[in-house]
Amino acid sequence: MPGTTSKPDIDLIIEPVREPIRRGGGPTAPPPGGDDSGSNDGKRRHRGQPSPNRYYTGIAVGIVSILMFFMALASAFLVRRGSSADWVAVRIPSLLWINTVVLLTSSGTIELARKRLAARDLPGFKRYWNISAVLGVGFLAGQVMAWRQLESQGIYLASNPASSFFYIFTGAHAIHLLGGVGAMLYVVFRNFEIAKVSRNVAAEVTAYYWHFLDALWIFLLLLLYVGR
Amino acid sequence: MSRVFSTNHRTIGLQYLWLSLVSVLVGMVLSALLRWHTSWPDTVIPILAFLEQTPERFAALRLLHGSLMVFFVLTAAPQMGFGSCFLPLQIGAGEMAFPSLNRLSFWMTFVSFAGITVSFFYPQDRGIDIWLASAALFSLGALFGAINFTVTTIELRAPGMTLPRLPITAWAWFLNAILSMLIFSVLLAGSAALLSDRLLGSEFFSTASFLAHQPQNLLRQGSLPVVWERLFWYFAQAEVYVAMLPCFGIATHLIATFARKPVWKERLVVFALGGVGLAGFCVWGCHMFATGMNPFAPLVFAILAASLGVPAAFLVASWLGTLWDADIEFTASMLFAMGFVSLFIAGGLSGIFLARQDLARAAVSEEFVVGHFHLVMGVAATFAILAALFFWFPKLFGRRLGEPLGKLHFWLTFSGVYAIFMPMHWLGLLTQSRLLPDAQRLALASASSSIRAFVTVATVWTVAAQVLFVVNFATTLLGRRSTVESNPWNASTLEWNALPLPSGEDLALARPVVYRGAYEFPDHESHAPVPQHVAPELLAARTR
Repeated sequence: MPGTTSKPDIDLIIEPVREPIRRGGGPTAPPPGGDDSGSNDGKRRHRGQPSPNRYYTGIAVGIVSILMFFMALASAFLVRRGSSADWVAVRIPSLLWINTVVLLTSSGTIELARKRLAARDLPGFKRYWNISAVLGVGFLAGQVMAWRQLESQGIYLASNPASSFFYIFTGAHAIHLLGGVGAMLYVVFRNFEIAKVSRNVAAEVTAYYWHFLDALWIFLLLLLYVGR
Repeated sequence: MSRVFSTNHRTIGLQYLWLSLVSVLVGMVLSALLRWHTSWPDTVIPILAFLEQTPERFAALRLLHGSLMVFFVLTAAPQMGFGSCFLPLQIGAGEMAFPSLNRLSFWMTFVSFAGITVSFFYPQDRGIDIWLASAALFSLGALFGAINFTVTTIELRAPGMTLPRLPITAWAWFLNAILSMLIFSVLLAGSAALLSDRLLGSEFFSTASFLAHQPQNLLRQGSLPVVWERLFWYFAQAEVYVAMLPCFGIATHLIATFARKPVWKERLVVFALGGVGLAGFCVWGCHMFATGMNPFAPLVFAILAASLGVPAAFLVASWLGTLWDADIEFTASMLFAMGFVSLFIAGGLSGIFLARQDLARAAVSEEFVVGHFHLVMGVAATFAILAALFFWFPKLFGRRLGEPLGKLHFWLTFSGVYAIFMPMHWLGLLTQSRLLPDAQRLALASASSSIRAFVTVATVWTVAAQVLFVVNFATTLLGRRSTVESNPWNASTLEWNALPLPSGEDLALARPVVYRGAYEFPDHESHAPVPQHVAPELLAARTR
């Protein structure tokens, strides 16, 4: 019968022992038995602070799924392009090259901001961080202008498969970048005294995401350029 | 209201399970309606008499049945439902890594459920748009859930909970989260692009000019162009394994718990789970043998699909190895877990035939495929879900589902599903085989109507048997609260060894320390595994 051999003597007792924050999350070797204060049973429970590492792992895992999203579209792009003669190449608006320089610069400034933060120079961090955010918004504005440029040439989303892919790649990237700008503004305006996450962690995670979007943009641009 | 929009993992897990329960009941009624129409095509489908009775309506009925069952039962219950409830507890975390994201995942899933249900009542064109938007939303919710599960398992394990010490259930949820993350991104991309085609006129998938430039022999009448098919099957074939992986974990865990033995070759089981995920990711082409592929592609996909048999066979060997010479406790939960094994073997065997593209194309028809995937994916997974529900019910609700009623429910359902799906295999092999001469086929087709009627009767039988489950569920929940031991099944994992029904806040502050794997027994005589959190010195003191 279930339950007949249950052992109530090993139920847990919750004991408030504060455990230092560790990088690397949960698993470490368990402490040797009977290590402290004569507590000689397995009833110990350690109070655990949620590790800030979850944000780093979270963004890494998130990046993988975003990458998979774009890879699915990229494979559709290649298959679609090679499988039909209705493909009319889109001439990449020259503005995109300027936008690319703006985005690359923002990656540089965000890295400078991170260095300033590591050196505990908060005003310096804020200066570079704000510059990065402005450059990010500038890139988005540039993308909108590039779309306008295409529209003025009569190239719309529905014009042909190539234009459809051009708009979905640049549009989906812009939506993800908008999220990045939102994260930057969060770091600027959030009161970190009361937040669960520290400014350092938030800034680093945002910077990683931003660099990823930067690299993704280079990939998409090359794909659109080479795959015309 | 704060309870409804809670961020507590247990509440959210329960919300998923309730959503699955509603979906499975509706989906089951729909399957009975589908059988009705197959057996008596000239009559009006009951319940749906107020809607126009067109072929499109029947197609929409099948779509609704499939969507509810695949998305909100098979994907949601074993992974998001039980996983949200028990992954944090089993790894000693107390809460998910991102509780708010967990809540967002559920509510996206809920809105998607509402959208997919509503889409059925709209005219076909608008209905497909709503369905696609809902599928995209479901994918996004599943993606967030997968990210959450992955991070929780990597980062929030209790001290001492090394990877080899993870219960197999936690391994399955973890591996499944990684697989989900990869495939739901693809469905999201595909749905977004298709929706853009339909609403904004973009030209990703379907244009007249695309079709005009295809070689005529590669076009199938009425099918979507292959780009969408590729993206869809890339998702959908792997989705089968997304539904199955957590069920493998649950079955392994329950069999070891009730056989009172360690999992046979536990480490290899983890590799087999990973192998199923990896191979499942690579076999999407199996559904596209009839489309314009490179002539060598079907061979590659067939080999990959057949190679899935290796990890699957290993899992079966492990279950049987664990059961071998064991003193098995036949609870309702264990019966359902063993039913899962039986159905998985029966359904999986026909999968090996379907992996061969020549057989799949020539010898069998739709009913064989329907029989195959319902046994292996639909029914087997449902048995695993029921096994898990019986097993974890005391932890979820502080009371136990009735065992006698549960066992009766098991035997009626077990016999019922075999009576439905085995004859379907025969129908597929016999009546529509393209290898037979036409005259013989026609004769068989007329003789097959009695088999079809038998299948329909068996469906009614099986659906009716579920009343027992509903009664058991309702009377247990509404009846007098019984006192249940904190660990009624003598399990070793952490979720049973905390106080019953702890609140998330209490548990979030407390972390257990883990000293051993999930399936360790002190000696051959012992019928209880050692709880993972008991310190060795206490264990030594107890044995003295």
